[in-house]
Amino acid sequence: MTSIIHTEKLTKWYGKHRGVVDVDLDIEAGEVFGFLGPNGAGKTTTIRILLDHLRPTSGRATVFGIETTADPVAIHRRIGYLPGEFTLYDRLTGGQTLEYFANLRGGVDQAYQASLIERFDLDPSRRFKEYSKGNKQKVGLIIALQHQPDLLLLDEPTSGLDPLVQQTFFALLRDVVDEGRTAFLSSHILGEVEKTCDRVAIIRDGSLVQVDRVDALRDLAHHQVELRFAGPVPTAEFESLPGVSDVVASEHVLHLRVFGPMTPIIQAAGRHELLDFVSREPSLEETFLAQFGQQAGTADAGQEHAAGGPGHDR
Amino acid sequence: MTVEMGRPPISAPRPRLSITSRLFGFGSIYGKTIRDSRLATIMVTGLITGLVLGAGKAVAAAFDTPTARIELANLANSMPPVLAGLAGNPVNVGTLGGYFEWKYGATFAIIAALWSILALSSTLAGEARQGSLDLVAAAPFGKRRIAIEKLAAHLTAMTISMVVLAVACWVAGAAFGTVLGDEIPASAAIGFALWVGLIALVSGSIAWVLGPLVGRGAAVGFAAAIMFGGYIVSGYAASVPAFATIANLTWFHWTANHLPLAGQYDWISLVPVAIVAIVLFLLGVELFERRDLGETTTVRSPSLPPAALGLRSPVGRAFGEQIPVALSWGLGIGLFGFVVAAASRSFGDELVKQAPGFITVVKTIYPDFDITNAGGFLQLVFVEFGFIIAGFAAANFVGRWASDETSGRIEMLLATPLSRARWLQAGGIGAFLAVGAMTVIFALAVAFGAGLAGSQVVTPFLGSFSLALFALAMVGVGVGAGGLFRTSFAAEIVALVVIATFLIDLLAPALKLPDWVHQLALTAHLGQPMVGTWDPAGIILCLGIAVGGVLLGTWGMARRDLAD
Repeated sequence: MTSIIHTEKLTKWYGKHRGVVDVDLDIEAGEVFGFLGPNGAGKTTTIRILLDHLRPTSGRATVFGIETTADPVAIHRRIGYLPGEFTLYDRLTGGQTLEYFANLRGGVDQAYQASLIERFDLDPSRRFKEYSKGNKQKVGLIIALQHQPDLLLLDEPTSGLDPLVQQTFFALLRDVVDEGRTAFLSSHILGEVEKTCDRVAIIRDGSLVQVDRVDALRDLAHHQVELRFAGPVPTAEFESLPGVSDVVASEHVLHLRVFGPMTPIIQAAGRHELLDFVSREPSLEETFLAQFGQQAGTADAGQEHAAGGPGHDR
Repeated sequence: MTVEMGRPPISAPRPRLSITSRLFGFGSIYGKTIRDSRLATIMVTGLITGLVLGAGKAVAAAFDTPTARIELANLANSMPPVLAGLAGNPVNVGTLGGYFEWKYGATFAIIAALWSILALSSTLAGEARQGSLDLVAAAPFGKRRIAIEKLAAHLTAMTISMVVLAVACWVAGAAFGTVLGDEIPASAAIGFALWVGLIALVSGSIAWVLGPLVGRGAAVGFAAAIMFGGYIVSGYAASVPAFATIANLTWFHWTANHLPLAGQYDWISLVPVAIVAIVLFLLGVELFERRDLGETTTVRSPSLPPAALGLRSPVGRAFGEQIPVALSWGLGIGLFGFVVAAASRSFGDELVKQAPGFITVVKTIYPDFDITNAGGFLQLVFVEFGFIIAGFAAANFVGRWASDETSGRIEMLLATPLSRARWLQAGGIGAFLAVGAMTVIFALAVAFGAGLAGSQVVTPFLGSFSLALFALAMVGVGVGAGGLFRTSFAAEIVALVVIATFLIDLLAPALKLPDWVHQLALTAHLGQPMVGTWDPAGIILCLGIAVGGVLLGTWGMARRDLAD
């Protein structure tokens, strides 16, 4: 496969403040790549370096095989970009704004532009300053999409969009991928990434902590297991089992986190009178939060019963 | 169906605020506004204090004997009102305070008034526009209280500044006085500072009251026009009969006899100024209370025709963004120029009656300079202020260009095949075109006024383009600084250069500073364009700075990160 985006030891410092440190990425043609991280982790910094809006302190980045600092305009010809926060010309209407950006690029298919306006249900006759936050986001998305770029760089693309428009956006993203084009989207909304991305990178404090397929990330993660016994809980017996951690007993219920195969837990539980067994496959959100050392969600496993076997909450 | 809502929750009492929190301005809207205005307060206070002490020392040193003072007083007193113009009536000019009051008094009032206009237009209207006022207004305070606290903060800052000004005046008299009568008593220093503060606040009160109605930019424009217009009209009321009636409406005219540094007091004249300011302040508070937050005029501004929006190219778009402000500046300066040019006949007639000898002297020195026609009067009255206003217009154009980056629009623009260099050059050319559009408008107005006065129109029309040259150079300074460093302070740099140029041009000859100091002012190199005398070196210098600024900005822009 061809690398569309490639970074090597990409580092950016803003004076004494950390931007990103030693980021290595390879994003291949035709994939939707999610870039996950909390606020201030370095997502936007990475994207802005790819656009040559920022110059790396060290390391390098290439897009379409072109060094970002060498010929950014050649890169810009083939990308569509939506910033996380942006403003446009207050006095222009949405339609005039789209026309101007189409003219800056050239070669925009008017019929396709019109279809995007229709799919996003945008009124192009209103001035930009009169739009709501969501409608401004729609204008930004159409600007990014209207020239059918080879690569989409989208920084938190669904911010401000209502659920129906989000669906429209995800459908468009699928169309883009079906046509063999590539998308790189940053987000801190895990459901969004889980639904749309092939691969995910998790960035924390400016450094990548994980890059993998969405499925693999989930497989790598733990299972939350809840065992309900008829009698006193044999805590010590479970604590010594391989792959088991965070064992917590309350009343006759045992909560534990399991990494790896489930067989030893089932065998140990079978030696006691077991009333209920719940194993919950973690969501990407829980995986993500686990990476950041936090307890996954407030809705714990004890409240989600899936009788007779493992349950899925996503 | 009725729904029992239960008792309303009792809000928690406000926590006691720490001393640190209060000192750093986080304890109240008042404190935060003081905090936000600290830099402006320090700058204005520093500027006027420096001027008082610097000019006081220089004046005392330049005229250090009783004989020199008598000659100075005789010169000033022999000047008919038609020539004294904006300086007003000379009173006790032989003393340090009297000379200071006559020569520079109004300059302090104008500096402080500009500060007040900018501060009071932005404290509510500007904050409403950027959205931060929504958050403040969501706090458990009424809108009236927010407005009053913000107003009180500016009054506090102005009071601090004026107290320092009074102390500086007193110190200047005590430290630099060289002849008898140079001492400036405390009452005179306080009277002068009070006058400066009131003139500043009444000018700012216009911006304050208009801000919630028409938005920040328009409020600044109206308030500045009224302030400058009032100053000009009042200054020339004695020599231009057409101004006499309007002058009675200006606070400069009301207080014309209050010259405390010269030992002449007219405290009563300050009362109407204070009353007008208080009424406008209260009106502004009420308007803010009663109107929707951040909603300015409901009259939709007319849209430009599609062809003027410049959707086809970056240069066209950059110019399209500037057109509305260019038209506004052109009309504003044009109105000023038209009034001055149209009044030139009255001025000429008065001059022939009052100072025929002066006309002869001027003719001897400058054979082409006929001070009695429109060109001569424009050169005397319009050009100096015209340079300042055109310079501020340039700062405005630079600010609009810079807004691409400061607003974050550049993120999307530079994600297209538009290079950094092309973006900067297109923005610079757009600002140059804005200067051109503005100049054509006010040059036509000047020519029209000159025609009405019966003077020839071509020379004043062409002379008006000297202001364009200065404005082009200032655009070059702003675009250069913006490209090289950051665009967020490019407009401020231009404004500072304009003010510095004005002060150098004003003070260097008067204080007999070395000639090279005066030559630092770009406006000292533009000849007397309204009477057809041009200085080629100045033209080349202005164009060089304009083009050089864009080239320097292009070089810098290629080497730096975009702003966050």
